[in-house]
Amino acid sequence: MLRVENLSKQFKGSRGSSAKTVLAVNNLSFQCKPGEIYGLLGPNGAGKTTTLRCLSTLIKPTSGNVFIDSYNVLEHGKVFRSKIGFLTSDMKLDGYFTPDYMMNWFGRLNKMEDDVIQERKSKLFTDLQMTDFIHKKIDKLSTGMKQKTAVAISLIHDPDVIIFDEPTNGLDIVTSKAVTDFLVSRAEAGKIIIISTHNMTIAEKLCHRFGIIVEGEMKEEGTLSEIIEGSNWDNLEDVFFSYILPGGDHV
Amino acid sequence: MFKDSFIILRKELKRMFTDRRLIFMLVILPLIMLPLMYSFMGKATKTRQSEISEYTSRIVVCTALGSEESTELFLTSLAALNTEVETINSQSIEETQERLTSKDVELLIVMPDNVDDRLLENEVFDLSFYHNSTADFSDFAFSQVELAFAAVSEAVVRERIIEGGMSEEILSVFTINESMPAESYDLATEGSIMGKIISMMMPFFIVIYLFANSMKVGLDSVAGEKERGTLAILLVNQVSRLSIVLGKMMSVMIAAIVGATSSAIGLKIASRYLIGMYSDTGEAIVEYTMTSTALLQFAIIVIPLAILISSLVLIVSTFAKNVKEGQGMIMPVYLAVMVMGVTTMQIGDTPPNWMRLAPLFNSLVVLKDIFMQTAVWGNILFAVATSLLVSAVLIFAILRMFNNERVLFRV
Ligand SMILES: Nc1ncnc2c1ncn2[C@@H]1O[C@H](COP(=O)(O)OP(=O)(O)OP(=O)(O)O)[C@@H](O)[C@H]1O
Ligand SMILES: [Mg+2]
Repeated sequence: MLRVENLSKQFKGSRGSSAKTVLAVNNLSFQCKPGEIYGLLGPNGAGKTTTLRCLSTLIKPTSGNVFIDSYNVLEHGKVFRSKIGFLTSDMKLDGYFTPDYMMNWFGRLNKMEDDVIQERKSKLFTDLQMTDFIHKKIDKLSTGMKQKTAVAISLIHDPDVIIFDEPTNGLDIVTSKAVTDFLVSRAEAGKIIIISTHNMTIAEKLCHRFGIIVEGEMKEEGTLSEIIEGSNWDNLEDVFFSYILPGGDHV
Repeated sequence: MFKDSFIILRKELKRMFTDRRLIFMLVILPLIMLPLMYSFMGKATKTRQSEISEYTSRIVVCTALGSEESTELFLTSLAALNTEVETINSQSIEETQERLTSKDVELLIVMPDNVDDRLLENEVFDLSFYHNSTADFSDFAFSQVELAFAAVSEAVVRERIIEGGMSEEILSVFTINESMPAESYDLATEGSIMGKIISMMMPFFIVIYLFANSMKVGLDSVAGEKERGTLAILLVNQVSRLSIVLGKMMSVMIAAIVGATSSAIGLKIASRYLIGMYSDTGEAIVEYTMTSTALLQFAIIVIPLAILISSLVLIVSTFAKNVKEGQGMIMPVYLAVMVMGVTTMQIGDTPPNWMRLAPLFNSLVVLKDIFMQTAVWGNILFAVATSLLVSAVLIFAILRMFNNERVLFRV
């Protein structure tokens, strides 16, 4: 079980520069059970990446806390890191190496035994349909292949919690589907999955629960039917727009 | 913890030493740079010298009334030189001056009147030498003829002295080093002239390549990973930040040392050309060899220096948002280090005290001592200690930055 409690993150403007203080995440709470895929939705600058970075120990919450079972991110950073797999879509792996090499490397950094790495690798390579290109340099791979590689690498240590920031960004529908199908299979295996996206179609199909964030605040939270029932709309996209488009119900 | 550092180091090394482009930059370039430069310089000087010695200078002499015999006397002194002499009379002076201007001839000598008599009467007379300093060989012809004429003058003086009944010894007050064989008066040890030349240049080139290679590897190592977003995935792993910093640090340091060593070997090769360039001064130049003590001292000083320079590069790399910003920030540091290198190149045998105290500077000065084979262990160890101390402070600061999200996710 993953619990986010009253999470806030404020970025202070740096001294001497004109940048002012930003409250990127404001008192956010939600939770996600094993087997569930949670979708964080929000327009650009809503605070999705910031939230996910807080969950993955990369940045410290200004206030509030995050729990995985009995561990919390403020005190148990190291345990957290062993339990999560984190990925951002804007990551570009070093093109000089092959997916196979990078998997071995990250496996070793995660203190996995070599035979465990081999086993885990072949499972991920088959699940993500990567076997054709694992020995090619990453430079030579297509965007989709690169993203699959990144997904595989972030999950080499078989984490309980999968945190993906816009995992299907820039992918064609085929690769998109491969990635989302893979996530579904992981959820079925009892993992906790949190993704951020602004693609409502994918979100609606993929996620069990949703959180709509605008300007750092949670505007709607719950399952698809819960969210739609409380609104005047019959789909997620329209609810989403009602929070951000000029003239929307909640703007 | 160190195991993780080595896993990180191994990947960085694989990257460095299997990529042909990088190998060229890090290893081959520092190795061939100096030999190439010196062979080129050596060739250029040689060609110039042979051009000059093969050149036939065109000299025009204008005789004058009552100077015919003495002109003959002066002209015979030119016989041994590679010259082509043309004689004219005073009507053609202007025309010849124009030829000088248009570089058709190299030198015009105008004799005054009645030199034959004035010579006999011990009267001083003035010769006019016209030349063109913009013509390639004009100045050369000038000094060549001047020397030859001076010999004539000396012979005349000698004759006058003997005629006057005096001993010709009156002509010289002293001689220098005529009573000793050439080997016995230069007390430099074998190879120390080469050592002096090398010790002047070596610290400069070593520091340049330590820096250049650190930059090549170090900027990408953290700033590059930040830019590509791969640093985040490393940070959410279970590796400690100290392991990450140490692993990257070692890889940058190795690149730096490889560069320094390559350029040292390069300079050794280049010293052959240097010998060629300096040997005609007649000094006892022997090929430079380092004693094993000097080699040991070299290793002892270079490794901490490499650590210091890699830490400098890494701290910039850690602070920068991306490689480009890093390059911009490191440039002033690079220039400052270059200036330090040049300064050490130019100071004499005894550097001012502050240079021995200042970190980085003192390593350069000690490096120079080592190549001169005059290094003192106390100075070496002091330089090592300061380098390590400053590096420790820098590494501490880098670690602080690695734990500071405002630096890691600077926008
Ligand atoms: N390191 C940082 N320093 C200062 N401000 C930041 C930092 N990171 C994010 N912000 C600010 O916080 C706010 C939320 O940004 P965030 O990246 O979390 O949004 P997002 O929902 O991921 O947007 P997008 O859909 O564009 O990825 C923005 O106003 C952004 O400018
Ligand atoms: Mg984002």
